[in-house]
Amino acid sequence: MSNDQSIADAETPRDHSRDSSGSRVESAKHISIDISGLELTYGDGTEAVSGVDLTVGNGEFFGFLGPNGAGKTTVIKVLATLLSPTAGEVRVNGFDGRTEPRKIRESIGYMAQETSIDPELTAEENIRFACEAYGVPRGERDERTAELLDLVDLEAVADKRSEEFSGGMKKRLDAATALVHRPPLVFLDEPTTGLDPKARNRLWEYFQRINEQGTTIFLTTQYLEEADTLCERLAVILDGEIVADGSPADLKRQVGGDVLDIELGDGSEARARAATIAREFGNFDAATVEETETGISVTTQAARQSGTDLLVALRDAGLMVTGFNIRAPTLDDVFLAITGERVDTDGGATTTEEST
Amino acid sequence: MSTPTEAGTADREVARSANTFAGDVWVNFKRWNLKAVRNPFVLVVSLAQPFIFLVLFTEVFGNVAGGAVSEGLGPGVNYTTFLVPAIAIQVALASAVTSGIGLVNDIENGMFEKVLVSPMNRTAVFVGKTLAEVFRIALQIAIILGLGVLLGAEITTGVVGAVGIMAVGIIFSFWFIAFSNMLAVLTRDQESTIIGANILQFPLLFLSSAFLPLEVLPNWIQLFARINPVTYGVDAARAIMLDEDVMTVLEVTAFDGALNTIVPAVAVLVSLGLVFGAGAVYLLSRASSSDVR
Repeated sequence: MSNDQSIADAETPRDHSRDSSGSRVESAKHISIDISGLELTYGDGTEAVSGVDLTVGNGEFFGFLGPNGAGKTTVIKVLATLLSPTAGEVRVNGFDGRTEPRKIRESIGYMAQETSIDPELTAEENIRFACEAYGVPRGERDERTAELLDLVDLEAVADKRSEEFSGGMKKRLDAATALVHRPPLVFLDEPTTGLDPKARNRLWEYFQRINEQGTTIFLTTQYLEEADTLCERLAVILDGEIVADGSPADLKRQVGGDVLDIELGDGSEARARAATIAREFGNFDAATVEETETGISVTTQAARQSGTDLLVALRDAGLMVTGFNIRAPTLDDVFLAITGERVDTDGGATTTEEST
Repeated sequence: MSTPTEAGTADREVARSANTFAGDVWVNFKRWNLKAVRNPFVLVVSLAQPFIFLVLFTEVFGNVAGGAVSEGLGPGVNYTTFLVPAIAIQVALASAVTSGIGLVNDIENGMFEKVLVSPMNRTAVFVGKTLAEVFRIALQIAIILGLGVLLGAEITTGVVGAVGIMAVGIIFSFWFIAFSNMLAVLTRDQESTIIGANILQFPLLFLSSAFLPLEVLPNWIQLFARINPVTYGVDAARAIMLDEDVMTVLEVTAFDGALNTIVPAVAVLVSLGLVFGAGAVYLLSRASSSDVR
C-alpha cells in the first residue's frame, strides 16, 4: 500500500526542509521543489521570471500568489518541464529539470490553468488514458480509475462523454487525471478559477484530502480566501520576483496591526480630509491609510486601543461617520501592502492601482 | 551521482511500470481510434463526398467519358473501373485532413499539453496517432473498393490487388497527413486548417489523371499533373486495378507491365512523404519543445 508510505511522509516535520543544520543529503530527502536563481525571458524580451529562489518541503500545501502576469504560470510551467529556464537550477522531487525531465514528468501531477480533458471521451476513458499514459500497472488500472471517480464524485457519470459536463465537473475530472499515478507532488494552476462557490468548496475538500494523504501541493490562485483556507505556506511573486514568503499568519502579522475601516457619509473630498486627519493622528505610530470606495481604511498596531479617538477626531472635524469596523488583516490586506494592488475576487482579475 | 537523487525518491517510490515505446504507441493508437468511433460524423463525411463523386461521375460522365477511357486503355475498361482507384485516392486525401484537425483540437482542449507533461515518448505519441489515421484510411478505401465492385468496377488483380490499392492509398496519404499537421501547428486554428486543406483538394483532384485520361485534357493541365502528387497516387492505384502500365507522365520501361507505373509512382510518393514528413516533424518538435520562444 503506497498510501501508508505517503502518510508516513506527511508526518515528517514540515519545517525540516528549511532546517539548515541538516546535511545536503538529509535535507534533499524532504524537499519536493528546489529552485535557485531561476530566470526566464521570453523570445520577445519579456522577462517573466527574474531570479526566483524557492524551496518547498515534502507534504507541504504551498500557495503561490501574485497578480496577473506576475510569473506564476511561467514558474509552474518550468517546474512541470514545459518550459526551459533561461538561467538557474530547478530540482523537482530530486531530479534535475534540465537533464532528467522525464523522471520529473513521471513523478508529478499537473493540472493546467485551462481545463484539459478530451471531450470526446467519457469520464472513465479520460482517467484510463491518463493511467496508461503514466504507466500505471495494468492490474491496478481498474481499481485506480474507480477510486479516482469516487474521489471526485463522478461515478454516476463515469460513462457519459465529458463534453456534456459542467465546468466544475470538468475541473474535477481534470484533477482526477492528474492523480492517476499517485504523484508525490501535484501542481494546480488556478484550479478553481471560474467555478461557482459550491464547486470550489468541493474541490478544496479533494485537495485537502490528498494533501492529508501526504501529497505535496503547489497551488496558484487568484482567490486569497482560497490560499488562506488551504495553504500552510505562501509566497507572493511580483514582476517575476518573490517578494514575500511565509505562513498566512506570518504574512498577516507583517501587515502591521489591525485594520480600522471607517465609512463616511460625504463624498470624495470628505474621504481625502479624513485620510489626512488619520495620517496626522498622534496616537498611531505608523499607520497606513488608504481611501476606499465608501470611506477610509487605517492599518495600525494601535487600531483597537485608539480607534475610537480617531472617530471622535473625525466627528470634531465635522465629518459624518456612518459606520466603522475593526478587524484582523486578511490576505487581501497583505496583498495590497505588498503589491499595491487589490485582488478583485469576483472576476478573478486584479484591479491595478498603479501605485508601485 | 548516487545519494541526493536516490535518497530523494526512495521514500516515495510509486508503483508504476516503466513506459515503453511500443506501449506508448499503442495507448495513443487506441485513443485516436476511440475518438474516431465516437465521432462517426468525421468518418461518414470523409467517406460521403468521395462516394457521391463515385456514383454521380459514373452516372453523369460514364457514357461520355467511357469513350475516352477505352480509347486510351483498351475496350475492356469501363468508366467505373477507371474511376474507383481515383476515388480511393480521394478518400485518402479527405481523411488525411482530419489528422491536422485532430491535432488542432488537442491543442485547443489542452490534451496536447497534457500529453507533453506525461512521461510518454513524444515520437511514440505521434506515431500512435498517425497509425490510427492510416488504419482508418485503409478501412475507408476497403469500403470504397467494395462499393465500387458493387457498382460494376472490376479489380483485375483480385484481393491482392485490393490490398495493394489500400497500401498505395496509405503511402499516398503520408504527405497530406504531414501537410495538414503542418497547417495545424502553424495556424493553431481549426477553421484555417480545414479551409487550408480543403481548398487544395479539388484543384489537386481535377488537375490530375483522376477523372479522365491525361491525353484528352488541355496541355496546361497535363503539365500541372506532372507535378501533382495525386497523379502518382491515382496512376499507381489504377495500374494495380487494371494490371496495366497506365502512367503517362513518366515513361519507365525498366520493369514489367504494371510495375512500370507502380515502382516509379511509389518512389515519388515515398520521397514526397519523407520531405513533408520532415517538415511536419520539425514543426511538431518545435511546438512540443520546452525552449522559450
